[in-house]
Amino acid sequence: MKNPDLIQQMRERAEAVQAIVSIIGTMKDACQYAVAITKKQGGRTVVAAGLKTKEQDYLKNECESSGLRLLEFPLRPHANEIHTSLTIVDGGVAETGTLVLDSTSEDVRIATMLAETHVAVLPALKIKPDTTALENELNAVLKADVPSYTAFITGASRTADIERVLAIGVHGPQELHILIMEENKA
Amino acid sequence: MIKTAQDMKSYKKQLKEALADKFLRSALDNFNTAYRENRPIVYEGVDFEGLKNEIAAGKDAALPHLIEMFEEFKAKAEAVGAKVHTAKDAREANQIIAAIAKDNRVKKIIKAKSMTAEETFLNDHLEKEGFTVTETDLGEWIIQLRGEGPSHMVMPAIHLSRYQVGDLFAEVTREKQESENIDKLVKVARKQLRPAYLEADMGISGANFAIAESGALGLVTNEGNMRLVTTFPKVHVALVGYDKLIPDLKSMFRILKVLPRNATGQAITSYVTWIKGAVECASSPGSRKEMHIVFLDNGRLALAKDPVFSESLRCIRCGACANVCPIYSKVGGHKYGHVYIGAIGLILTLFYHGRENGRAIVRNCINCQACKEVCPVDIDLPHLIKKTHGVILHQEGKKPVKNFLLSTVMKNRKLFHFILRKAYLAQKPLAGKEPMIRHLPHFFGKEHRFRSVPVISKIPFRDQWQQIRPQVVEPKYNIALFVGCAIDFIYPEQARALLKLLKGRGVQVEFPMDQSCCGLPLLAAAEEETAKDVALQNLRAMHAGSYDYILTLCASCGSHLKHNYLKMFKSDPDAPENLKQFTDKIIDFSSFMANVLNISAKEFKAAPQKVAYHSPCHLCRGLQVTEEPRRLIEIAGYEYVPSKDEDVCCGFGGSYSVDFPEISSEILKKKLDNVQDSDARLLVTDCPGCVIQLRGGMDKRETKIQVRHIAEVIAEALK
Repeated sequence: MKNPDLIQQMRERAEAVQAIVSIIGTMKDACQYAVAITKKQGGRTVVAAGLKTKEQDYLKNECESSGLRLLEFPLRPHANEIHTSLTIVDGGVAETGTLVLDSTSEDVRIATMLAETHVAVLPALKIKPDTTALENELNAVLKADVPSYTAFITGASRTADIERVLAIGVHGPQELHILIMEENKA
Repeated sequence: MIKTAQDMKSYKKQLKEALADKFLRSALDNFNTAYRENRPIVYEGVDFEGLKNEIAAGKDAALPHLIEMFEEFKAKAEAVGAKVHTAKDAREANQIIAAIAKDNRVKKIIKAKSMTAEETFLNDHLEKEGFTVTETDLGEWIIQLRGEGPSHMVMPAIHLSRYQVGDLFAEVTREKQESENIDKLVKVARKQLRPAYLEADMGISGANFAIAESGALGLVTNEGNMRLVTTFPKVHVALVGYDKLIPDLKSMFRILKVLPRNATGQAITSYVTWIKGAVECASSPGSRKEMHIVFLDNGRLALAKDPVFSESLRCIRCGACANVCPIYSKVGGHKYGHVYIGAIGLILTLFYHGRENGRAIVRNCINCQACKEVCPVDIDLPHLIKKTHGVILHQEGKKPVKNFLLSTVMKNRKLFHFILRKAYLAQKPLAGKEPMIRHLPHFFGKEHRFRSVPVISKIPFRDQWQQIRPQVVEPKYNIALFVGCAIDFIYPEQARALLKLLKGRGVQVEFPMDQSCCGLPLLAAAEEETAKDVALQNLRAMHAGSYDYILTLCASCGSHLKHNYLKMFKSDPDAPENLKQFTDKIIDFSSFMANVLNISAKEFKAAPQKVAYHSPCHLCRGLQVTEEPRRLIEIAGYEYVPSKDEDVCCGFGGSYSVDFPEISSEILKKKLDNVQDSDARLLVTDCPGCVIQLRGGMDKRETKIQVRHIAEVIAEALK
């Protein structure tokens, strides 16, 4: 499957599980998106993981000029105040609209587990058609002789435990925004 | 507390109470229908059958190597800082976990959902040891607050309404709750449980997979609580059954294609997580998680070696066997399992929780095969339930009188048929000139009055045979008719309709006189030895080698002859030589007419009558015949009108309807309601057992829709 088709499928499948998907060009767009969504939702804090120093600085400026706080690692002391978390994920699975995120770092876990809104940047070239295409890569991580915590994330957290009625946002993030980054469009 | 009935008397009392719970009934009935309707959508583009066979074969290949896989897992996991323990039983597992908690000075424990922890009653143990345990999965938290066990393996609180949950949350929060709004109730749990993750010193989870080649655990979840449980506290303990071991990631991905689809109708769950070793953890003294994995045996290793029951270890806990079970949908999980719920629970309870807890529930299977059809790992659940029942009867050493009588009578065909003939005389005063007994004598309880009962025919089919036996010169097909008890002694007219239809088509029919009951009722009563004895009588009687087909008008006889005969003699060195020849020749009425004789519409007069169809369990799932009867109805000029849930059991199940009349009657009620809603005037099916149930039930209703065997209505439509 060609990349545009994969992007399209990724988008459709992710939207089918209530993720909010956009296409962006650069990390700047991602930072602006994270700030805008935080403001719109009345949140006050943003946290980011996996950003380069320059990007992190840019985000900090954006936050400050919007009256938001960019939280710093370690995140445990901030556990109760994380509104938006901005992460760059390691891969996507188009077949199911799934994000792949190495969550071995505790701060990455906290950021993506406790945030009200998770904004995930998915580089378009990292979208794989299905789990089979991902098998070798993931196996390399799992078989390495180091501890690891790897996550597939598909949509926001959900439950149907009360009367089988689907409710979004239980213990994990209430919203998942996926920003598919097509860098050549920058 | 779980209160599983340990004898039939208290079980029946419990069932009665469950049947009276109106919310439960409508919630589970709706669930059953919705689940089945949604399933084809969820599986669109996915080769379920192919995956199922691959997964089952993979599991079977791995089971003999559980210990090797465990050793491999342990080495890999310990190399990255995990500590791996083994527990021979529930008690030992609980003690190990309590000891880990003590060693790490744990006070508060949070838990993610784990059926294995339910199996060991871990919470009870930890609480007795002085720890505070908080469940964090929404459903588990609800039932923990109520002091109940789960009523479903995936949705533990499915038996409760939003109002019950709202009242419970009002108590917990001491604030009034808007029960109508489920979203708000969910947020209550979010808010209430957040501090618990941060305060806890130990998190306990289960695992869906333990991957041998990497030493990683795989966890499949939706709410996000498991991720928090395994992240914040300094200690993580995963309790894992040996059966969760799989060789590699490829095996996990394969199962991942069916587990969420089968369990919750999702292509994938919100989260799939791989945890390997002692990951970073700031709250732990060494900044690394204190990571423990406890492997639970509790009978699994012995089960893995069992030639019959090892199949049950393939289970991946998707819960689908409960979702489609017509009995589960009437009585709920607290009455349909002990800890493990649904068909698989009826089996595993014996092995994990003892025969006291298994002996009553194991009898509550109607053998409709709905569970078997949806099982993603191809466990022959109804078959294993009967086997489990047999083991329990054997272990207990004293059989019910019914079993003794049944076994004695059925071994001897002449005695059995003698009794049936006498029954004709006995029932005469009750029926008068009617074809039905509408008022059962009082020694039958009133729970049996939900249907009229057919009378035994004055002249059984076998006694009519000599007069009606057709003679065909140079036949195209030689077939033997396996008539079955119900048609032979109650509805000989159904077999006569067949003869009428075959006339002039070059089919020579024989009726081998020494044929007996197919033996299914014996298997249903877990009397496998006698069932085999009867099978041998039939194999001798039917002379399979002399015929092109062995035709039956009874779906239950048909699927029993075709499949169970092979199963019963599977590893028997004395299996008769002509067994396979015999089973290969079994054919049902509709397939024979539609596919072999290719009967055409020209032969039939237009009969513009609206016909509803009931698809017998043992035809659609047993013999996998679904399209032919419906086609036949249309060929014969009737207007086939689809009705809801055509392939759901009618509630007969042979002696099931006598053993559990209240449940049988509820299943029947829904079936007849659906037929009435279809505006058909005639209900057709291809099993005399279903005819007994459906006609008996319809006879008690105002709207008298006729119930007929398909052979009769097709024969009547001939020009």
